[in-house]
Parts: sequence; structure tokens; C-alpha cells
Amino acid sequence: MKNTTSTGTASNNTAPARPRLTALLGAAAAVLMTASLQAQAADPIKIAYNGDISGSPSAESGQIGVLGIGAAVEDINKRGGVLGRPLEFLVRDDLGQPPKAIQNMTDLIDREKVSVVFGPTNSGNALAWKHIANQKRMPVLVSSASSTAITEGPSSGNYLFRVSMVDREQASALLAYVKKNPEAKAVGFFVETTGYGQAGLKDLEQIAALHDMKPVSIEKFDARDTDMTSQLSKAKAAGADTLVVWAQAAPLGHLVRSMEKLDYFPKVFTTWAASFSGFPEVAGPKLMEWPVFLTTSSERKSAEAESLFARIGPKLANPSMFWAASQAYDTVLLWAAAAEQAGDTKGEAVRAALESLNKPVAGMVKTYDKPFSATQHEGLTAADYHWSRWKDGKVVDFNDPVLAGLQPADFKK
Amino acid sequence: MMEASVLRPAARRSALLRAAPTLGIGAALVALALTLSNDFYLYVAFMAGVYYICASGMNVLAGYAGQKSLGQAGLFAAGAYTVALLTTRLELPPALALAAAPLVAAAVGVLIALPSLRVKGPSLALVTLAFGLVVEKLVTEWTDLFGGAQGIYGIAPLALGDEPFALKHWVVLVIVLGVAVHLALSHLLNGRFGRALLALQSDEIAAECAGISVYRYKTLAFVLAAALCGLGGALVAQQNQYFNSDFVTFHLSVFILLLVLLGGAGNIYGPIAGAAILTMTEVFLAQWPSVQHFIYGAMLLFALYLMPTGVAGAIARVLPRRMAVLDGMETPPLTAMERGRAEPSAGPLLEVADVSKAFGGVVTADKVGLRLHAHRIHALIGPNGAGKSTLINILTGVITADSGTIRLAGQDITRGAPHARAASGIARTFQNLRLFGSMTVLDNVLIGAHARISVTGREEDAVAKAKAVLDFVGLGEHAGALAGSLPYGLQRRVELARALAGDPVLLLLDEPAAGLNPRETAELGQLIKRIGQLGIAVLMVEHDMGLVMRISDEIVVLDRGVVIAEGGPRDIQTNPRVIEAYLGREDSPAPDGPEVDKEERAC
Amino acid sequence: MLQAIIGGLTLGSVYALIALGFNLTYTTTRTLNFAQGDFVSVGAFVGLGTVGVLTAALGADAVGYVWLYALAAVAAALAMGVLGLPLYLAAIRPFAGKPGMSWVVSTIGFGIVLQSAALSVWGLGARMLPAPFGDEVFRVGEAGFRSQELVVLVLAFAILGAFDLAMRRTAIGRCMRAVALNRDAAALMGIDVPRVMAMAFLASSALAGLSGVLVAPILSASLFMGVIIALKGFSAAIIGGLTNPRGCMAGGLLIGLVESLTALWSAQWREIMVFLLVILVLAMAPNGLFGRKLVEKV
Repeated sequence: MKNTTSTGTASNNTAPARPRLTALLGAAAAVLMTASLQAQAADPIKIAYNGDISGSPSAESGQIGVLGIGAAVEDINKRGGVLGRPLEFLVRDDLGQPPKAIQNMTDLIDREKVSVVFGPTNSGNALAWKHIANQKRMPVLVSSASSTAITEGPSSGNYLFRVSMVDREQASALLAYVKKNPEAKAVGFFVETTGYGQAGLKDLEQIAALHDMKPVSIEKFDARDTDMTSQLSKAKAAGADTLVVWAQAAPLGHLVRSMEKLDYFPKVFTTWAASFSGFPEVAGPKLMEWPVFLTTSSERKSAEAESLFARIGPKLANPSMFWAASQAYDTVLLWAAAAEQAGDTKGEAVRAALESLNKPVAGMVKTYDKPFSATQHEGLTAADYHWSRWKDGKVVDFNDPVLAGLQPADFKK
Repeated sequence: MMEASVLRPAARRSALLRAAPTLGIGAALVALALTLSNDFYLYVAFMAGVYYICASGMNVLAGYAGQKSLGQAGLFAAGAYTVALLTTRLELPPALALAAAPLVAAAVGVLIALPSLRVKGPSLALVTLAFGLVVEKLVTEWTDLFGGAQGIYGIAPLALGDEPFALKHWVVLVIVLGVAVHLALSHLLNGRFGRALLALQSDEIAAECAGISVYRYKTLAFVLAAALCGLGGALVAQQNQYFNSDFVTFHLSVFILLLVLLGGAGNIYGPIAGAAILTMTEVFLAQWPSVQHFIYGAMLLFALYLMPTGVAGAIARVLPRRMAVLDGMETPPLTAMERGRAEPSAGPLLEVADVSKAFGGVVTADKVGLRLHAHRIHALIGPNGAGKSTLINILTGVITADSGTIRLAGQDITRGAPHARAASGIARTFQNLRLFGSMTVLDNVLIGAHARISVTGREEDAVAKAKAVLDFVGLGEHAGALAGSLPYGLQRRVELARALAGDPVLLLLDEPAAGLNPRETAELGQLIKRIGQLGIAVLMVEHDMGLVMRISDEIVVLDRGVVIAEGGPRDIQTNPRVIEAYLGREDSPAPDGPEVDKEERAC
Repeated sequence: MLQAIIGGLTLGSVYALIALGFNLTYTTTRTLNFAQGDFVSVGAFVGLGTVGVLTAALGADAVGYVWLYALAAVAAALAMGVLGLPLYLAAIRPFAGKPGMSWVVSTIGFGIVLQSAALSVWGLGARMLPAPFGDEVFRVGEAGFRSQELVVLVLAFAILGAFDLAMRRTAIGRCMRAVALNRDAAALMGIDVPRVMAMAFLASSALAGLSGVLVAPILSASLFMGVIIALKGFSAAIIGGLTNPRGCMAGGLLIGLVESLTALWSAQWREIMVFLLVILVLAMAPNGLFGRKLVEKV
């Protein structure tokens, strides 16, 4: 009975890997030290992470994000910093609580006077302070929160950019597949009651309407639930043969366990949350192979990614979480490129440069060629998503004839 | 030896003078806020102010009334969602929505007060906690109305003309509100209202018998706490222009309680200290995410061990105590005091007819009839287990009779609550002392006068009256002492003074001489006689037959719930049934039989 | 339906264990451990850690997993029980028997420190502690069960029964009941009251740790799982009657059943129902369903 109920918090990611907090902070401290050594040479540029790194299970992607950003800062400082100035990396923990997140945000902007903020972990917190970033013209690069609304900004200038999966795009891809699959006759939506699940359901319902698709059952469960048999029984009674699930890793694991209890195995399509280590941990080696989901970069394709993985991998509980580090790493590269292009670290200049990057940036996930524009603030789009599933303890590509037959026109959003 | 009568310093100063330092500090804070240009410090100041407003209400509830609630997040949410929904759905003006928020929260506060009235301690913590969780789940799940974790955008903030409030304006607003709340609460709590809450926290039955409606005051405390917490929530929602269900957590409820406990519960400055220190600590520790939880946890673990009365209590202890001596105050003798009631017309003051009460199978009052007269001293005697205390409890309303009627000066009061009976002139003392031990003798007496002090009356008049009562029982010099610190004999007298302060027409004394030495007993006898001379009807339950025979005008003998004899001291001493009841008959069980136990436990 | 009842009783028996812990500390010290949830989660991780260390030291198949699990349960109960002593010394003893609720603050503080320490050792993620008798699903008609549900049910009832017996038959049990009834009288009779209080915290914390290991194979372990389990255990204790150990046990089963039966109708309103029920029960019966009515002598 203590201070952290995580009921409402979570949003997008759950779960897990186990980077030791101490190791993580050790890394951050090392970065700080390097930075402070170089600071003697030139006035450092302060950059910061503001997100949950201890308050709820989803804090794990926050911790890994901090590792990724730390690695990027290290690399950039090694090659001489940004605009000839070294980077100094600050970390603020918002515990998944909006008031704390807002306070951290004003702290970073007004007292620490950072040049850019990375994070957060939970979509709900991003929604709680995004107007502050826009008012104060503070560029924010989001590397893991996936709620569609985060990058919707005012016409006066939107300072939030994202290099991560987006709910809307995932919903669009998943439903395109379901629509195309002749075996999927009755679809059910299963969502958790956090901001993540609620936002996902909204996206799912809207896109289903575009497809003229009517779900036969919509069921909800709490992120802490461990027994979903009653919801599943209802879906079974309604005849659902395909489920689209919006949930964090652990409840997703419990969902497939509950399916086993009922001996009811509809096809399950879900989000990248299934790649978080909490899912295989809870579901176990057999059941974890059941759902099909979308990821960005679970397989390492470039030499740079391999070397980053060599540095960070040992601190991850499960290599499948590596995407969180690589996306975070890329956000730093993109911001650095924009600052170099603008010749300035001021918010307006960096935003303008981000919206018109003139040189491709080679990142961990992909090479970003003009990733953003004035109206497009998503660094990754459906084309960057991979259909995946678990196989023998690893996330592997998923492929079947239905997928091969998907045409661009099938994706509605 | 206590020095002469002392009193809160504030009592004699005019209201304006009293408010001056607070207003000065408020003005200084506003000036300071206006010089700040850094939004971070402004935001911290804003949050500290909001937390103070929440905590100050919580202090009324937890610190004064002793109701440790763990559901304040629900009320915070009530205020926040009120402004959110009123300004977005109904597009009401922001100022109106802000004004409505504490009202809606107060209404919700009544809802939570109702199931909380009868529960205490951990059960109360659970009821309030459950309420907080229900609200948290409700705003999370009912997405159509509350927006869930997606939240509600576009909450209209207050505006200066067409310009929405800047952070600086919000800070000035919370300072102004904070100062107003502080002044209003100091006025309320340093008087009748605050005393009543402290009394019910200390002993609900004694408070009720002193004329305090315990339920009403508890509800009031809940409502005040709710309204202020709702105001806090509304301010946060409007300032941020966005609110979602993630704001409403069990953690917030705990935090609001922590503000009070750490700052100093029951101390008017406690919430200020709590809000300032906890906000600062969090801001300071945020710079070291790796150790912040350890330090924060350790701080909570040891803080109250090092400062048992909270930060404000610890500060108060090192500051010299300022107490004005109450020398020159005129204290009219009690006899000359205007008595609040008309003398009852001829006939008995109190008429008890056919009152019966049974606990399970044990009958402790069986068709008891009784008539008590003004100016007379009545004694109620009988062996242990005769039902004497039960009868006193029935007369004061602590126990409700199964049947029968009780009339006071012709009015039927059979169903009246104890506080209502106290207000209509029935006062009592208790067999086992029930003093408010951690309050001063003067405050104890003032609580006794609760029903007599009008809500709008001047505190000074109430104090003068209380002083007169203390002089009457010979406790004038102990007014400033803590009641619990006095020797036993004096404590007994404080209880008597507390009963007298209510200006009663009927005084019920339950074994007033128990535990007194012979000299004290003799003094007590004199005192009771003088009380009778004031025109008050006295009914005393007493085992000291010497005292009973010496001072009583009339004696009623009760045995196993039945009145077996009535009359003057002489008649009673020779009445064979009385002798039999006391000494026992060979074929009947001793009156101290097992059923005695049951009866005693029951009342 | 059957499935819901079994599931409800399983979790309910765990709530009952926690509620019993609250009963022990409340009757002897008039305080409650607000960090009980952290003891539950940390207990689960101590169990996981024990299994991990033993597997590494002895090899995977040196002894049967059933034994490993049993050792893990004992280790968790012992470790948490021992941790109950510093909790008592630092957070309870200064405030036991005094008015006010300072112990709320101090036990919350202890919990924050404990959770932070555990987070830096085990991290944030959910982990699965394998069940001792495998993870297969048994089928009875439509309903499916896992062996661990039965293990939890049987063990929890066994422990509850053993406690009930111990409180009545053993010397320490009688001392605890004596202190619960009247602390001063017990002290006069030569009972070492502070020691009994410390024992109560030891037992209560051990029960919490053990509960953690019991539920981990069903719920999966995370350092955030304890809060809500402890809250429901607290609810169970209060609506059952905090001063009545058997009432606490009954309260636990009742909460578990209400929870799982509400889920049949609508899972998302489950917790609202549970806590509304709590409010309603206490509004009707302020001392809980099976609590003795405390009558004050006036």
C-alpha cells in the first residue's frame, strides 16, 4: 500500500527488460563526466530526457531510452560535439505522474535551459505537457510513446517530433491485414483501460469504420489484470475468430494464458508491445509464439547497430527491447543534424531545420531521408514496420500469402 | 503551580490587527512572485500554493477532527473535472467554473462523509481510500464523460481581459487564495469550531454530551476539506488547461495526508510547513533520479520520529511561547450571570415515566419513573448493577430507552440526540473521567459552553464566562494548565466546571466523589450545594453514603432496574426494602451477581 | 462460473493471508504496515532469486523443481520475516501505542526505501516464477485450471488453519492474544510486550513474503504488483473485522469471490464494485462483518 498505483499511468509501453538501474545511472554518470571534461573546452549544450524510469513497469523502455541517448551523446561528443560544443545529458524521472512530468518539463526548460528534450515513456504524460513545449518553443523528440495525438500540434508551430511507432499506423496496418484475410470473418477488439489502450481503441474503431468492418465484440481489461477468461468467453460466444489487441506486454501475456485456459485460440494481432520482454516472460515459450505483431528494428541490420548492441545489449534483459535504445539513439542524431544544419540550437531554428533536413541521416533503425516536414512529424511510417512473431525465443519476420498480397490501397487511415 | 490565567494571544486583539502579519507576508510573497521571471520557480511556487490549499483543508479534517482520510485524490478530481467539463462541454466562463469547483467537491465531500461518520481509525482510512479508488477507476473507465487517460483538452483558464492568465498571475492568485484560506481557517479554528473538532477527536461521547453534534461537525470537516481540495484540483486543471485520469492516483491521496502529518497535524501552520518542505524536497531531489527515492523514503521513515509534532510543531517548540496573561479581565460572579433560560414554571423540571431498557435479556431499567425539581439535589443510589449509570445515560441520550417518555420542562426529549439535550440544558459528568486531556482547562470549559456560545459571538465574552465558572469551582488559577496534567481531584472538578459551563438546568453527576479523599469529598459536597442554590436541578449517582445523606434533598433507590424507594434521607435510611437490596436476602442472589457484569459492559 | 469461483477463491485466499498479517499487527500494536504491498512484491522476487541461485549452484535437475519452489517459498517467508524486524524497530516502535497515525508516514517511507532497493537489484520488468507442478491447463467440463491455483488454495488454507491453531495452542500465540486483549495487563503478567509486537511484525511480513511467492506463478511477479494485492488484503481485513482473525480470512475469500464474479458480468467495473461494496459494508457494519462490537463504557 504505497505510493505508486500504476492504474492510469502507463500508456504505451510496458515492460521489460532488466537493465539494472545502477548500471544505467552509472552510464549516465559516465556520460556526464565525459561531458563535463569537455565542457572546459567549450560551453556544453544541455539536452535532457524526461520520462518514467522507475514508477511503473513501462519505465523499462524509459531506462533503455536513456541508455540509447547516453550512447548517442557519447558518440557525438567523441566526434566533437554539436556546433563544436559538447553535449551534457540530464535525466529527469517523472514516475509516470503528470504533475511531476510537467514540473520536470519547466525545470528543464526554464532553469536548466536545455536545448532539446527527449522522452517521455508514457503517452499520457506527453499529452499533459505538450502545450508547454509548443508555447516555449522547445523541440521534443519522442522515441517511444506511441499515442497518435502526441504529434498533433497547433498550426502556430508544432515542436513535437517522433521516431517511433504510431498507434494510428499500427491500427491501419493490422486492420488492412484482417480485412484482406479471408479466414477472418468476425473480429474482436481487446484493449486495456490505460491511455494506451483507450487511444488504440479509438484508432481501431475509426479505421474499422473506414473498412466498413464491425467488430463482434469489444472487451476491456485493466493493465494489472491477470485473468481475462470472462472477456474471452464473451468474445468466444460472439464468434470472434480474430482478435486485435491493444495492451502492454504483461497483460498481453496473461491474455494468451487465459486463452489457453479456455482452449479458445482465435488469431491474435497486436502491437509492438508484444516485443517487450514482459510478454514472453509471462506467456511462456509455447504461447508466446501465437500473436503476430509489428516492430521496427528487432533485427539488427547495420554494422553501427551491431556495435551499439554490443555496448548496450548486455544491459538489456531481452535483446528484443533493443528497438527502444536504437530509436532513442536516432532521435539524438536527428536533432544533432538539425542543429548543425541550422547553425543554432534555438528552438525555432531547430524545428525549421528538422522539418527540412537537407542531408540524409544514417541512423540505427534506418537512414532518414527528409523524415519530417511542416505537416509530417513522424520519423517512422508504416513502411518501416516489420510484421513479426516470436520463434524460439527470438523475434523473427512473419510472412504469409495474405501479407504478400497487401496493396497500398488496403491501408486506410 | 500555574501562573495566573493565560490565554491565546490573539483573543484580545482586534480581528484586523490579528490579520495584519498574514496580510503583510502575503503582500511580500506577491511582490516576490512578481519579481520572479523564471517560469520554473513560478511553477514550483504555484504547486506549493495548490498543495497548501489542499493540505489546509486536510488539516481541518485530519489534524483537528482526527479523521485521517486517504481519499483526497477523489475530491481533487471532483474539482478538476468540474472546471474541465464546465468550460469544455458547457462553455461556462472560467471564473464561474472555478467558483463552482469547490461547491461540487463539497457536495462529493458530503457523499464520502456519510459512510465515514460511524467508522474510526483503519476502517475510516479504508472507506476513504475505497472512495478515492472508486473515483480513480470511474474517471479512467468512463471515457465518454471524463476522457480517461486521454484526458480533456482546452480547459479554459482564467483571463485578464482577453489574455489568458500567465503563470505569474496564477501564482499571485494562489497566494491570494492561500492567504484568504489561512485567515478564514485561523479565525474558524481558533475558536468555537476548532475547539469542537479537537474535542470530538479526543472523545466523541464527551464532546456529544457537551453539546457538540459530532456527526454535523465531522461532516463539516469533510466538506471543508473537500471544498479546498476541489479548489486545488480546479486550479491545477485550469492552469494546465489539460487534465487526465493519470493525475488522480492513490499516491496523490497519500501525498496530501503526508503534507499534513509531516507539516504538523492540528497546527494551523502545519500545512504551510508541509507544502513548502515537501515541494522543495521533491524539486531538489529530482536532480538525482538515482537516489531520490531512497532519500525521500528515509525522510518519511525518520521525520516523525525526530519531530513527533511535525515540522511546525518542532519550530513552535524552539520559539518562545507568547501568551498574554488575562489579568484585568472582568469576571462577573456566576450568580449574577444572566441565565439563558427562563425559570421553569412550577412542577417538576424533568419527568421520567415508564422508561425501560434491556440489553439482551438483562433488564437494566424497568418502567422507571422519576421527577426532578429545580433548586433541589437528588441522589440516585442502589447496589452495583442496579442500573444507575444506565439511567444517567438514558437521560443524556447516550443510550436510547426502549420505551417510556422523558420530559424536560414539559418538552418531550425522549428521542433527542445527546448534543440536543445538552443544548436544552442537561449537563453531565462521567463515572470514568472523560476530559480533553491535551487541551487546557479553559478550553475544556469553553467546550462545555459550546451550545451557549453563539456562532457570531465574541470569543472574549465566552472566555469571560468560562473564567467565571472556573472561579466558581475554584480552578481560576489553573485555567492555562493542560487538563491532563492536573492531579486527579482537580480533574474531577474540571469536569464539573465543563458541565456547569453549559449553563444547565439539570446537572447529572455520575459518582462525582469516586477516588476523592475525605477533604476533597467535603469540598465537593459544599460545591454541589452551591450549585443547587444557583437553581440547577442536580441528580447524582453516588456510593459515598455520608455525602449522599449530608447534601441530598431527595433520594431515589434503584435495584435491578426498578425504583424501590424514594424520599428524604431519613426515610431511605430506614426503608426495609432498601436495606434488603443492599444487604441481600437469604433466598435471593447477591446483587453483585454475574448479570452485573453484563450490564456494566453494556453501558 | 466454476472457473470464476475457483479463481476468486484462489486470489481470495491470498488476500486472506495478507489480511491475517494486518490482523496480527493491528491487534498487538494498533498499527498497520502500509508497506505490506512492497513486502509481497519483494517476497516474490526473493523467491525468484532463490530459484535462480539454487539452479545455478546445483544444476538444473539436481533436485526436483517442487523442492526448489518450496525452498524459495521458505526463503521468501524468512527473508521478509526478518525484514519485518527493522520495520518494527524503525517505523513502528517509536509510535506504537501513541495516538495519531505517524506510523502511516514511517511505514510508507520504509516501503519506498525497500522498493527502491529492490528495483535497483531486480529491475522493473515482469517475471514469471514457474509453478511447482507445471503450467498445464486441466479441464473440468468447460472450465480450465492450472495446478498452481490448487496449490495456492491448499497451501493458503493450510497456513490459515495452522495460524488459527497456533494462536490458540502455542505459548507465543497465547501471548499475542493476551497482548491483543489488554496490553497493560499482559505486561503485568510478565509478557515481554515489545517482543510480542516484534513477533507480530515478523509473522505478518513473513505471510506477505510467502503470499508473493504463492501468487507469482499466477500473476507473474513485478515490483509493482504488491500495492493492489495489499489494498485488497487490507479491505478484506477491515470488512471481515480487523480484530477477528477468522473474520479477516472470511473477508479475503469474500473479496476474491466478489471480484471474480463481477468480472463475469463486466471485468472493467470489477474494482469499482469491490470498493463500493467495502464502503457499503462499513456504512452498515462499522466494525466489519465479523468484528466484535466494541462498546465503550460511559
